[in-house]
Amino acid sequence: MELRERIAASAIEIFTTMVMMEVAVAEDIDENYGKLANSITGVIGLTGNYKGVLAVHLPHQVAFAITGNFLGVEVSEMNEDVEDAIGEIANMIGGNVKSMLSEKGRDIDLSLPSTVSGKEYGFHSIKGAEKTVIPFRAAEGIFYVELQLET
Amino acid sequence: MGKNVLLVDDSSTMRKIIGRSLRQAGIDFDNIYEAGDGLEALEVLESEDVDIVLSDINMPNMDGISFLKEKSTREGIKDIPVLMISTETGEDIIGEAKSYGAIGAIKKPFTPDKVNEVLGPLL
Repeated sequence: MELRERIAASAIEIFTTMVMMEVAVAEDIDENYGKLANSITGVIGLTGNYKGVLAVHLPHQVAFAITGNFLGVEVSEMNEDVEDAIGEIANMIGGNVKSMLSEKGRDIDLSLPSTVSGKEYGFHSIKGAEKTVIPFRAAEGIFYVELQLET
Repeated sequence: MGKNVLLVDDSSTMRKIIGRSLRQAGIDFDNIYEAGDGLEALEVLESEDVDIVLSDINMPNMDGISFLKEKSTREGIKDIPVLMISTETGEDIIGEAKSYGAIGAIKKPFTPDKVNEVLGPLL
């Protein structure tokens, strides 16, 4: 199985087992991909034998639904709980990507997760990086998992 | 008398999920203590009666491996069992954790059934 398919399967497993949310790989990447609006991005860095970044870009409505499912409460505004939940989503997907790239775990280090959010922002590519972008569809909207690896 | 557990994870969301998974797995603890990193975990272990620790690895201030190392040097708390719950399940990292006393590992993502399967026999 190729890396893209393994990341997709891993993300679906995380959403199914931990978030209790049904998601599926979407057909196409939006032509405006990279111009993020009313969204939150969870980011985790990889260093060592593989250098790069794993990012999860989510519209606020999807992020609120994830956080609500995690915590068992209704969430309707951006707050620390949403940032923490989306950071943890990035952490879990990043950890699984690390497992795919590293056999024993000590040749790649993961950063701590961080988040950025806002009305409008961009997420730029590392120069020369190999980029894998996977769109997902949830009931609340489309979101993206993006892996950039330096070559 | 019931048992007490300490959950160590820098994500408050993840601590809540682990607590919920314990309940869903039918594992009842009298007290569920929480810590956001290894330093806080050591403070809880020194001040509370804890029977088992469930700890993440990748955390700020003091990570899970450093926590295990430090705990192994402290006479009063060194024998409290620690189970790792982490995305970090590489052979080398889990081997290092076990060398400092970890009794096993659960990979994130996990289900309540998985928690029960690993943790149940330890209680």
